[in-house]
Order: sequence, then C-alpha cells, then structure tokens
Amino acid sequence: MLEEFLIQTINGIVVGMILALVASGLTLIFGIMDVVNFAHGELFMLGAYVGVVTLAGTGSFWLALLVATLVVAALGAAIHVTTLRPLLGRDPLNTILVTFGISLVLQNYALWQFGPVARKINEPFTGHFNLFYLEYPWYRLVIALLSAAIIAGLWLFLKYSTYGVWIRATTQDRLMAQAMGIPVPRLLTIVFAIGSGMAAASGVLFGPLVGVNHAMGLDWVLKAFIVVVVGGMGNLVGSIAASIFISLTESYASLWVSPSQAIIVSFVVLILTLLIRPTGLFVPTPK
Amino acid sequence: MTARRTRIFWMAFAVILALLIVMPFGLPEFWRRFLTEILIWGLLAMSSDILIGYTGMVSFGHSAFFGLGMYGAAAALLTTRPPSLWLALLYGLIAAATVAAFVAYFSTRLRDIYFAITTLIFSQIFYVIIFTWTDATGGENGLAFSRPALAIPGLFSLPFTTLTLYWFVLAVVTGSYLVLRRITRSPFGMVLQSIRENEARTRAIGYPVERYKIVAVMFSGLFAGLAGVLYAIQNRFAAPDFVFFVVSGEAVIYNIMGGVGTLVGPIVGAAAFLLLREGLSRLFPYLASVASQHGLALPGLAEFPYLIPLGIIFIAIVIFMPQGLLGFARRRLNE
Amino acid sequence: MTAADHSEALVRVEDIHTYYGKSHILHGVSLEVRRGEIVGLLGRNGVGKSTTLKAIMGLVHPTRGEVLLEGQSLGHLPAHRVARLGIGYVPEDRRIFRLLTVSENLRTGLDGRGVSEARKKELLEMVFDFFPVLAERRNQAGGTLSGGEQQMLAIARAMMLEPKIILLDEPTEGLMPRMVSQIRHIIHVLRREGVAVLLVEQNVPLTLETSERVYFMEKGQVRHQAAASELHADHEVVHKYLGV
Repeated sequence: MLEEFLIQTINGIVVGMILALVASGLTLIFGIMDVVNFAHGELFMLGAYVGVVTLAGTGSFWLALLVATLVVAALGAAIHVTTLRPLLGRDPLNTILVTFGISLVLQNYALWQFGPVARKINEPFTGHFNLFYLEYPWYRLVIALLSAAIIAGLWLFLKYSTYGVWIRATTQDRLMAQAMGIPVPRLLTIVFAIGSGMAAASGVLFGPLVGVNHAMGLDWVLKAFIVVVVGGMGNLVGSIAASIFISLTESYASLWVSPSQAIIVSFVVLILTLLIRPTGLFVPTPK
Repeated sequence: MTARRTRIFWMAFAVILALLIVMPFGLPEFWRRFLTEILIWGLLAMSSDILIGYTGMVSFGHSAFFGLGMYGAAAALLTTRPPSLWLALLYGLIAAATVAAFVAYFSTRLRDIYFAITTLIFSQIFYVIIFTWTDATGGENGLAFSRPALAIPGLFSLPFTTLTLYWFVLAVVTGSYLVLRRITRSPFGMVLQSIRENEARTRAIGYPVERYKIVAVMFSGLFAGLAGVLYAIQNRFAAPDFVFFVVSGEAVIYNIMGGVGTLVGPIVGAAAFLLLREGLSRLFPYLASVASQHGLALPGLAEFPYLIPLGIIFIAIVIFMPQGLLGFARRRLNE
Repeated sequence: MTAADHSEALVRVEDIHTYYGKSHILHGVSLEVRRGEIVGLLGRNGVGKSTTLKAIMGLVHPTRGEVLLEGQSLGHLPAHRVARLGIGYVPEDRRIFRLLTVSENLRTGLDGRGVSEARKKELLEMVFDFFPVLAERRNQAGGTLSGGEQQMLAIARAMMLEPKIILLDEPTEGLMPRMVSQIRHIIHVLRREGVAVLLVEQNVPLTLETSERVYFMEKGQVRHQAAASELHADHEVVHKYLGV
C-alpha cells in the first residue's frame, strides 16, 4: 500500500508539472490580457500534432518539441491579431465566445487533417529504473523536470527581461503602461504567443504518455480552468501549486476509483474552494 | 409599450404562429423533424437568454440542465408502465430543477467570467457522473426507450406522428415563450435587468441580488430541462453527449448569433445555425462531386468539416455584430 | 536653449472636443506650450483639465479638433506612440506600478529597441541624481513608498522617456507642505533641463510661482490666459475662475 502510495505521488507530481505548464500559459494569458482562452486545449493538441509530423519527418523528438512550440506560438500570434485584438476594451466575456469558436475550428481542422485514429509520439529514450515492483520510465521524470525548467524560464523572463518588466507593468495598469510608451497591443500578442507556445510544448511532452488525438485538449483545458480558479486567477505561483495539488489528489483517488472518475475529485476540490473562500480566491474582478 | 405597439406585437405573433402551424404541410418528413429540432434548440437557447440577455450572466453549463431533463424523462419512461408523457415531463423538470438549484447555489456567488467557468465545470461534473455511472445511465451508450403517446388518461390517447409531435413541441415552445416574456416584463424581470445594468446599485437599493440570481438560474435551468425532455421524446434516447459542455457552447452560440435579450433572437439564432450546418454539411460533398465530374480530385473536400466555416462565421459575428443577427437586422431596418 | 526655440509652439491643442459616453466633456479647448516653457492650467474641479492632458497623451481621442506636436498632428495615434514622440505623463493619482520595484518602474520607460545599454544606464543615473531618495529605495516595491516618494517616482518615470514635455496632473495633491516645496524644486529642475511642463494644479501660489503663463478653464473651455507675472497683481482674475 505504501509503495502504491509513493508511486502515485510520483505520478501525481509528473502530471502536475505538465498541468502546471498548461495552466501557467492560461494564467499568463488571463492575468495579463483578461482573456479566458477556451482554445488553450486545442493549442495543446495542435502542438502535439505538429510534434507528430515533425517527428515523422526528422526523427528527432527535441526538434519536434522546438518546432511545435514555435509553429503554435506563431499560430497564437495570428489568432490574437485577427480575433482578439479587435475585442480590446470590450467585456472579457467576448473573449470566451471568440476562443470557443476558435476551439471548434481548430478541433475540427485536426479531425479532418489527421483523422480520428490516435497518433503516437515515441519517447526520446526508453530507459527505466526500478521503483518497487515497477519499471518506472525515466522519461516521465524528465518531463517533470523539463516542465519545471520551462516554467522557471518563464519566471526569469518575466522577472528580468525588458519585456518581462513591460508585461508585469501592463498587468498592473494597462493605461499607464501605454502612457509610458509600452506598445501594449504588440505586447499582448507576444504574451498570447508565449502562452500558446507553452501549451504546444506541453502537448509534445505529454504525447508519449497518452497518444495524440483531436479531442485530447478538452480534458486539459477543463483541468487547467479548475487549476486557474483554485489557484487564484492570474496568479502564476498559485496555479502551479494548484496544479500539483490537484494532480496529486487525483492520483491518490485513482487508488480507489477508476481514473475517469478521479477527475470528480478535482471538481470536488473546486466546489470546496468555492464554498470556503467563494470570492477570496480570485483577484478582484478587473473593471 | 404603447397600445399601438402592443397591438402590432400580437398581430405579428399571431401571423408567425399561424405560419409555424401550417409550415410543415408543405414539407417532407425530414424537414418536419428538422423544424421540430429547431424549436427544441430554440427553447434551450431562449432559456439561457434569461441569464445572458436579461441578467448579464453567461452560462456555459446549460447542457447539464438540458441533459438532466433528458435523463429525467428517460427515468420516467423506463420505469413506469405505460410510459406517460406527463410523467416524463414531470421527472425531467424535477431533475433539471434540482440540478439547477444545486448549480445556482454555488455559481451565483461568482460573477462574469468566473460564473461562466464555474457553470461549465459543474456541467462537466454531471457529464462525468452520467458517463461513468453505467448501471443507472447506460454510460457511454445512454438509454433508449419508446416514445409515449399524447394522452390524457381516461380521455384520449394518440400516438405521436412527426406532425403531431411538431405541433406539440410548437405548443410547448410557444407557451414557454409567453411565460418567459411575462417573466422578463414582471417586476422580477425588471430587477434582473437592473442587475445586468448595475449590480452594485441594485444591491445598494436593497434587493437581495444573490437570491434573484439563484431564482433566475433556476428558471433558466427549468426551461432548459423542458427542452431536454422534448428532445428525449423526439429522439427516444438520452445520451451523455448531450450533457457535454459543447451543447452549452452551442446554446451560447445561438444566443449570440440571434441577438441576446430578445427571447426571439436565440430561436432565430438556432434556426440560422442549424440551417447553416445542414447546408454546409451538404455543400462540401456536393462541391467534391462537381469537382470530380470535371476530373478534379480534391481529396478530403467531401469530408471537410462544416464546423470550420460555422466557427468562423460565429467568430465574425462576435467581433462585428455584437447585437446578433436580429439586432443587426433591426438596425438595418431602422436606418 | 535659445530664444528661437522658445517662440515656437511645442504642443498645440486646437479646438478639441471630447465625449465620455454621451456627456460632452471638452467644448473646444485650445492652448499651446512652447519649447522649455512651464505653463499652468487652472480651473475648478471637473472643468476638463485632466481630460485635456489625457487628450494630448492620446489616452482619450478627441472627436473634433486636433493635437499637434512640433507642428505634426498626432491624429488618433495610440498613447504608447505619443509617449515615444516625447510626451511624458504624470497622472493625477500617480499610478505607479505598485508591485514593481523602483528601478523596474523606471525601466518601463526605456525603449526596448534603439536605446543602447550605456544610454539606459546613463538615464537611470541621471534620474537617480535628481532624486537621491529613489536611488536609496531602488529595489523596494513602488507600493511601499510614501506619497511624496511615489510622486517623485511618477515624475522620474516620465523623465526616462527623455520627454520634450511633461504633463503634470496635480502633483501636490495630498502631499505634506514640506513635499510641496520638493515639487517646486523638481519643476525648477525640469525647467533647467529644458523640459516643457503643462502643469494642472489646485495650488495657485505654486502654479503662479513656477509657471510662465497660465490658462484658466471653465466648463470644458479655456476662458482666459495671462502671464504669471501679471496675475500676481491681478487677484480678480484668479478669484473669478477659481473662487479663491
């Protein structure tokens, strides 16, 4: 029992780190832009597909990771310029509607382009180590570390680069940021591209664990929403903590119930959060 | 509303209703069923207009109410002999109202996008429960049952035909429209609209805003459940797909396409969406066949998903016509 | 700074009208600020002084009339482009970035491209020279500064843009008298550096003392202008427009 518990702990942390990677992109986009990105899961899914294609063409997993990140970041920038920039200054609810439309388009495009059969991304290496009675793949630990590294990279970028300072300034006071000469519209496009690229990277990293199909984004976007709400919307550290917390509880729950039911546990976490701190969890509604 | 405008409204209402009553006579079977579907989805859209258009809350969780209406009806039709239409309605409404009360209690504590996300996640809770609780719900396969007769015990009993089912649905939807219209014009509806305009002020005047919101969500959920019951009766099954949040998203799309805050707009939006979907899903295979007749092989064209152009149209409407088709048409007419 | 410079209009506002929703805020405001000149803008609350500054900054776009910088119309240029053309903005409530450190607040004004690292350092050092208090607190979050320090930071931040003019909106509001003389000093520094200032103030003595010319606004229009030196003697005008 203890062994299983430890195994689930490791599983929970691994999945939690990927979730954190997805959710921090979502948090970044929400916290800075007031955009609730319904299409985030689809960017995750498209990243995985671009990874599949690049991997098939080049045979290099790491190149696939890089290409997927860049291609989807560029797609994110294009989506932002064409559909979200016109909504600047309108009620944030409009962004949910538009990104919902985008998710429909992207999901159906993927279904049409790649078909309903799941694709496989091979792990870049297949080594195992002994974890009690299990042969635990090294790759899983590498994913967790890579996700952590990407998030750390984001943090350093936000903390030290000029763009990072601009982004944080814009989060706090968009109007004043503009008056300081910060090119806010361009900055928002860059932020959306970064968040999209992060979603794509998580898609490629996670691909080897589950297989790639057109609907894989849905579960993730829902979980990421829960994480973002539980962690406090727009709060990066909060959503990382919430990602790990929620993945761990789901992992432990799967000791007793089937994995598909384990997600109910995160729903319950969400409801409890809403009950105990119905408003305190959120940054004040931006108005 | 002035007396003259009231008269014009009721005249238009009577004309449109009369047209809707006779419309199926000129239509083949397929389109009769199609018309019935439009009315049912229109009712779902209209129910969420109470929140979107009148209270300023966007629900992404109406699939839960709709789906529970379906499963409630299924429960009644599978457990009682002979299957009764009225029990199906009763069970469906009770199921939807219970879920609506539950969701309303939690979600109305939050505003704006937080409300939208919370309703979305709640609907997914019910989706997962229904999907995994195979013993009771049939899981992924859902539940199939036979259609009840239109009957009043001791008086008469008529099996539904496509035509009579259409009229029955039309009657229910028309009745719902009148009730919802009444609600939106009642003092209660006025408070909802004042919440939409300025929540803080409404609270300051002394209205218990949260309680009003809870009741609004419950009303809305009740009518969404009614739509679910009708859908179950028409299609003789209940399936988890209809609890999935994509259905909620479509309800929002109907609202935005048609124009929120009008009750009629969402029905127009549903009609436009479903017609476009039907047209586009036929267009691409047709184009492919035309192309192949001219010796052009365009692989994939026949299977091109209609949801791509539909999604793009929806995005364009959000960006360029924030008042929806009805609002757009109205402005054009006024110019 | 030469005499020729001084005679030429740096910023010219020509008959601008603005609306907030349906309410008409500015009813045709016209004024000008010459190179290196300190100009006061006085008037009671709600006559449109702050809106005039916002319109110059491009934060509010006039529905009629235009704002010219060095003879070029700013049209509907977004605020960030206007800032880069050399207009610094210090808003009424200071609006410093509270969670950013003092250095980071200043860095927001540095152009990401174009400006060399050496020049950025130089600018930072220059600003820290003017405001030694800020140098001491450079790694402290902006929100933890006192009111007076925040005001200095807001002005210092605008100076990072190397502006030709700074729009200063009620810099002494809510400050202790000791800090007011600091502000007076800062305005003198700006004058010495050749930066023009359009000063909106409630503090009439400070305005008359620091400004060369003064405009009076009433009901969304400029009603009167005079040299500050004439106004010292002419309390009637001040009384008429300000009720003091």
